[in-house]
Amino acid sequence: MINLQPYTNPLYFAYLFVAFLPIMIALSHGVRLHRYETVVGLGFIILMFTGTKWHEGVALLVYLVIEWLVVTGYRRYRRAHNHTWVFVVAVLAAIAPLVIVKLTPLFSKSPSLLGFLGISYLTFKAVQMVMELRDGTIKSFTTWQFLRFLIFFPIISSGPIDRFRRFTKDAESVPSRAAYGDMVAKGVHNIFLGFLYKFILGYFFGTVMLPQVGRIALHHHGAFLGLSWALVVYMYVYSMYLFFDFAGYSLFAVGTSYLLGIQTPVNFNKPFASPNIKEFWNRWHMSLSFWFRDFVFMRVTFFMMKHKLVKNRIHLSQIAYLINFLVMGFWHGVTWYYIVYGLFHAGAIILNDSWLRFKKKHRQQLPHNRWTQALAVVITFNVVCFSFLIFSGFLNQLWFGPFR
Amino acid sequence: MTKRLWQIFGPILVAAAMVATLLLVPWHWGALSAGTVDQAAVSMAPNVLAGERIKDQAFADGYLPLFGSSELARMDPFHPAVYAEKYHQPKPFLLGAAGTQSLTHFVTDQSSLPELRGKKAVVILSLQWFTPQGQRPDAFGFYYSPLQMMTWLRQANPHNVGDRYAAKRLLKMPSVRDSGTVAAATAAIAKGHRPNAWLRWQLRLHQQLLRNEDGLFSRFHLIDHRRRIEAGVRQLPTQATPESLTALAEKIGRAHTTNNRLGIDNHFFARRLGGGKLRALRGSQKHFDYLSSPEYGDFQLLLQQFAENHIDVQFVIPPINQRWARYTGLSLPMVRRAANKVQAQLRTQGFNRVLNLSNDGNRPFFMQDTIHLGWAGWVRVDTTMRQFVHAPNVHDYHLRSRYYSQAWQRQTRGW
Repeated sequence: MINLQPYTNPLYFAYLFVAFLPIMIALSHGVRLHRYETVVGLGFIILMFTGTKWHEGVALLVYLVIEWLVVTGYRRYRRAHNHTWVFVVAVLAAIAPLVIVKLTPLFSKSPSLLGFLGISYLTFKAVQMVMELRDGTIKSFTTWQFLRFLIFFPIISSGPIDRFRRFTKDAESVPSRAAYGDMVAKGVHNIFLGFLYKFILGYFFGTVMLPQVGRIALHHHGAFLGLSWALVVYMYVYSMYLFFDFAGYSLFAVGTSYLLGIQTPVNFNKPFASPNIKEFWNRWHMSLSFWFRDFVFMRVTFFMMKHKLVKNRIHLSQIAYLINFLVMGFWHGVTWYYIVYGLFHAGAIILNDSWLRFKKKHRQQLPHNRWTQALAVVITFNVVCFSFLIFSGFLNQLWFGPFR
Repeated sequence: MTKRLWQIFGPILVAAAMVATLLLVPWHWGALSAGTVDQAAVSMAPNVLAGERIKDQAFADGYLPLFGSSELARMDPFHPAVYAEKYHQPKPFLLGAAGTQSLTHFVTDQSSLPELRGKKAVVILSLQWFTPQGQRPDAFGFYYSPLQMMTWLRQANPHNVGDRYAAKRLLKMPSVRDSGTVAAATAAIAKGHRPNAWLRWQLRLHQQLLRNEDGLFSRFHLIDHRRRIEAGVRQLPTQATPESLTALAEKIGRAHTTNNRLGIDNHFFARRLGGGKLRALRGSQKHFDYLSSPEYGDFQLLLQQFAENHIDVQFVIPPINQRWARYTGLSLPMVRRAANKVQAQLRTQGFNRVLNLSNDGNRPFFMQDTIHLGWAGWVRVDTTMRQFVHAPNVHDYHLRSRYYSQAWQRQTRGW
């Protein structure tokens, strides 16, 4: 049985292009082939879940039914009422499948039957719809619009995370020929930059270098904390791999969307050139960090302000950061290193905030020139790389074995 | 509109055309440097075994193909590569590494056969290949060469018993079975059909692509063992007889086997058997049986290749360390019978150059460790190879297809 995992090899893009050709010709003539787009989208999704992965496909269907019940149920309720507890229940219900899937490894050796590739990203979208229904920024939607948004196939497996209103506007309009030409040009550019990132640089760092460096670093597991120069190299190599692999994937997803006339938001914007951690999160996995900013950080802040839980504005934002990154850590998976990764970034951003305040106060005494800016970039880069070493789980292997 | 389209897709089309030209045109890659071939000859790297360009040039340049498996890595001063270097004999090109057996050799030498036609070759034939399972699928996958496989498929004869047998055996290996076009073409041969025109066209195209990749890249990623060869050369005397070399081999062997009573190289013993690992192996090979194995059929594939290409072949059946065999409970009568069986298969078909060392596992310093030739054993092989390469070619073979039958593979009586 044929099985096509998204963006895993260059041939996949050949299939995409052939399937997209009618859509692209129609779009450049001002027509959107809704039915054909649906057939193509469903076709590629079905091919993700063929063969040994059929049970994931079933899990996806079950998941969609659950989320549809939750989100449309809340929409119906929200027309006439607006109790907070119903909202909370709706959010909890929407994230329940994801929570079960993430917690299953703690209790069982086999992964949850509810799990499938992309469940996190679909959950972000569903939860976002519940939140916006509560705010009143989304008032109505059809089942068709809901499904189209949730399973838009170029971004189904790993984002970027789009927003319902933005996506639906794109999906239901046709760009002008000139605008579509620009989109195709940008899409093709993204896909080819993605080739460089994922298939060349990501492959080099991840498949060629990482296992070798890892092996050497593991030889030193007897040293104090397993420290060695190889571990330092591992940290940088892993960071490069993580960036090029994921940024490459994201470029594919964005580029593919653009060919369909959908301007999926970008995920990376030169993150390693960030002068501080706050800026880093505006440039790294942007669709995720903006989602967390809007639906965790801001919500927590408003909630605490409204209920006057914390008076001090500085403490307020510090607690909000802590909760925000802790949730993000748990979302990555319930292991010590993901949670420590979240706490580390919360600590870094809190520290960064107080430094920025200090700098503001002492603007006269502190030098500010291109050298200090370069120093800021270097420090930020290293702090981030260290956080990725935690994130990689390699320390878990290094410290707790097993060793051959 | 056209201009805009060209701006967007023009670069892709140009790039695609350039890649297609690079990979699909039958280029002639020219000669590699002598140093590269020299390094490849003792590299034993998977990409050398699986490749085409380096081997082609080596055999055209007069290297002697030496088929084998893990013993080829025992590069002490008496290893055939060291001996040939020191005493100006035709240099062996090492074909094999840990895990290579008949079926792997059958596939990976496909492209070399035209170049080897009418020449000589040496095969070190390990009895350890002849297990009830035969070729290990994971090892086959590790050395699997799609390029060589396609070369075979393009000229395999569906009416030949051997080729049909090969197709059936290859389909048992996951790397072949799960490979789309190759699996379909192999299945056709197994059923006695020629692959259809569409399959043949795909194979041709893909073969050309892989051939160009091999031409471009196979010389990189060589493992460099030349230092070990050079270190060995320095230890050999300028003038030597087999007797004086054996004496030197025993002296060096003695110095290297001081930490155990099994006559095993210190380094090997410390790494693989030290720290209590040895005790766990006591009696562990009591049930080993080399008499009934699909390997007998796979080996016949190699013999068919040699016969069809008039290659004069010297076979070596290496010994098993007797002290080791006693410790692990390996049955020496069984080993002797397996050696007899394989020799019967050889001699009845006219393959008469067989150096049977399977009874020599108790000779001093003949083995470097448990089942691998070393020191004095290598001297014996070197001496035989030297006589062989200077002898006139003999290839009066008469193949018997019954050696492909299951009845033969399973026949355990009569030896």
